[in-house]
Amino acid sequence: MTKKTELPGVFRQLKTSRRSVLRSGAYLGLGLAAPSIISRSAWAQDAKKITFISEESNPKAQAVYDKINADFEAETGISVTMEYPGFENIAQRVATLIASGTPAELVWYGAGSAMEVALQGQLADVSDLVTDIGIPDNLRLVVDGADRSVATSQQFVYGWYRSDLYEEAGLDPYSDWGSYLAVSEKLNNPPAMYGNIVPSAQSGASHLLMETMMQKNDAHWFKMGDDGEYEVYLDQGDNLGKVVETLEFLNNAHKFAPEGSNYSWGDLMSQYFTGRVANSYYVGARLLEQTMSNAPDLAPLTKPIALPAKATDNYYLSVQGFHVGKGSNEDGAKQYVKFFMNHPAYIEWLHSVPLHIIPSKQEVLNSEAYMDNDVIQQRMDVLEFLDSIWGKGRAPYYWDGDKLNKYVGLYQNDSLGGWMLAAMNIGGKDAETVVKEAADQIREKMSDL
Amino acid sequence: MSTSDSSREGGWVAAAIGPALILLLLTAYIPIIYALTLAFYNKTAFNPEMDFVGLKNFFWLLKRDDLWMALGKSIVFTIGSVGFQLAFGLFFGLLLNEAIRGRAIMRSLVILPYLLPTIVIGLVFRWILNPEFGVVNQILLFWGVVERPINFFGGLDVAMSSIIVTTGWQYGSFAVLLILARLQSINPRLYEAARSCGAGTWRCFLDVTLPNLRTTLLLIALLRGIWMFNKFDLIWIITKGGPLQATETLPIYIYKIAFQDFNFGRAAAGCFVMFVILLVVSVIYFRYFNPTKEIEVNR
Repeated sequence: MTKKTELPGVFRQLKTSRRSVLRSGAYLGLGLAAPSIISRSAWAQDAKKITFISEESNPKAQAVYDKINADFEAETGISVTMEYPGFENIAQRVATLIASGTPAELVWYGAGSAMEVALQGQLADVSDLVTDIGIPDNLRLVVDGADRSVATSQQFVYGWYRSDLYEEAGLDPYSDWGSYLAVSEKLNNPPAMYGNIVPSAQSGASHLLMETMMQKNDAHWFKMGDDGEYEVYLDQGDNLGKVVETLEFLNNAHKFAPEGSNYSWGDLMSQYFTGRVANSYYVGARLLEQTMSNAPDLAPLTKPIALPAKATDNYYLSVQGFHVGKGSNEDGAKQYVKFFMNHPAYIEWLHSVPLHIIPSKQEVLNSEAYMDNDVIQQRMDVLEFLDSIWGKGRAPYYWDGDKLNKYVGLYQNDSLGGWMLAAMNIGGKDAETVVKEAADQIREKMSDL
Repeated sequence: MSTSDSSREGGWVAAAIGPALILLLLTAYIPIIYALTLAFYNKTAFNPEMDFVGLKNFFWLLKRDDLWMALGKSIVFTIGSVGFQLAFGLFFGLLLNEAIRGRAIMRSLVILPYLLPTIVIGLVFRWILNPEFGVVNQILLFWGVVERPINFFGGLDVAMSSIIVTTGWQYGSFAVLLILARLQSINPRLYEAARSCGAGTWRCFLDVTLPNLRTTLLLIALLRGIWMFNKFDLIWIITKGGPLQATETLPIYIYKIAFQDFNFGRAAAGCFVMFVILLVVSVIYFRYFNPTKEIEVNR
């Protein structure tokens, strides 16, 4: 027989009525909404505070921020709260803050990532700062007729090679695709030594190699259509042949490389400084810095070199800078940017990873203050190399035309170039199929916008 | 009990459980409800506004081949990993239940993987199984087992198995603990009775140990199954779903929708789908296995 279960006395007290439910609901709703209302109001109205999110993870650079922030607060009375979510997480952090309606005043990270935010109308017009500071044209990010980024620094994708191995083998440094494959084959002696490195994973390192080599071959992702809008060009006309050629070249280079099916930026460096590859590449000079730290004997033998050219001598350009949140304490944020760029410690900030964080202006690169650094003095060859390629860098969003290409995120966010390399080098698909599938993926995403 | 006593008692209970309920509401239920609500909105990361789109996010998601592929990967991963954990737990549980030398130390050691942070496990296994520097490949090459190093986390055909073994190794300790606890509570007279009827070790295992472990094994299968189906961190740390989506399980796929495509509405719809799948599996489990009855029977 089933016995009816009765609630203990105390729970019977918790009787509810329609009125009490409605009243509780109203209190709960008010309680939940209050923090958000309070925080939004506080954020929007406090002219004496700035929240600054920086991609920087280097303690030296963070120490410089502390110094500049203290001086800024002393001069303007505006306090700066720093956040360092890291390179991997900053785009998410910025996005979630915007999504929750509490964007940061200032964000320092890649202009490519910022472009997506700018296209959604979430970044303030900073044209006045760009003009005042004198940012070069190829580092600008113009959305809706206004500058949205104040470039502080830049990086190019270029190669690094072991000069001792070249000398021992009687080889000259490579210059074109043919000589690149020839030296890679000659120096290839696996598993002790690989001729070069071609990461084949859906990672940024892999994608940037593909994108750089496409630039070297004058191959494009998009083309400006007759209606003034960008359209997918990857698998169209002569361009298809160029993209296929690029992919096949990297597939051939992969024969003299470790499999690299899960390689990211760290692997490009570790494979190099542990002496397992004769040629590597990086965006900037962090590879050199890591070689100096982990394999000091290899560092003097490590030389910079342009990745092999084919149809052009372009360099994939990565630009970093300040971005001001629209509707935030814009005035305070702009004051900070100006203060930072004119502060003497700006040079110290550039020196936090010498030769890796390249100033946005060539006159700073060639200034005595910038050269007054032990590492730079030791490696003037790198500085001369950077000086020689100055102005040849092309940001991806201006690669397919003079008008900003708002669709680059469709292939960059999920490292489609890396997927193409993986599909061919690891998946065994033929180049043309891979290119067509990649183009279809972009089209599908476009149709979904 | 008078009315005033009972209302005083009610006040004490409300004061005692109230804070916990509020905390639970704020940290668990409201975010869950918000996330589920989000599935019905077009909510992108770069825009604080959101538009109601009804079931559009679900239709978009269910039409994606990637979703079904990721679901398949999740099922393979969950079954593989839970199976490995059960085998691991059973083996070490039985071993540590025996009166062997160094049992106390071994019992402490076997729990160690469960105590290690996931990031440590991920990095350690990446190094141990690294094709160039990893100790496993060095041993295999030295013994002549393989001619070329195996790219455990980078090879299309071995990446999923390697992830399964890694998670199985980390969480197998949980199974060991539960199984060992249950083994120690089995009445020794059952074994004596079985032996007196002529049962050997294997027969004792089949007729005494296994029936007594049934509930525990089912409980481990359910709990670990849910946890493994939701597993994100270790897979992301080691492979990020690669190579070529070989280890892209549902949580990884949904994470990419949220933080690579920056579409929170669709990602929330994905979470909803995962939630429904787990709910269905749990309901089937409770209906079919009836754990309460099992416990009663085993008592």
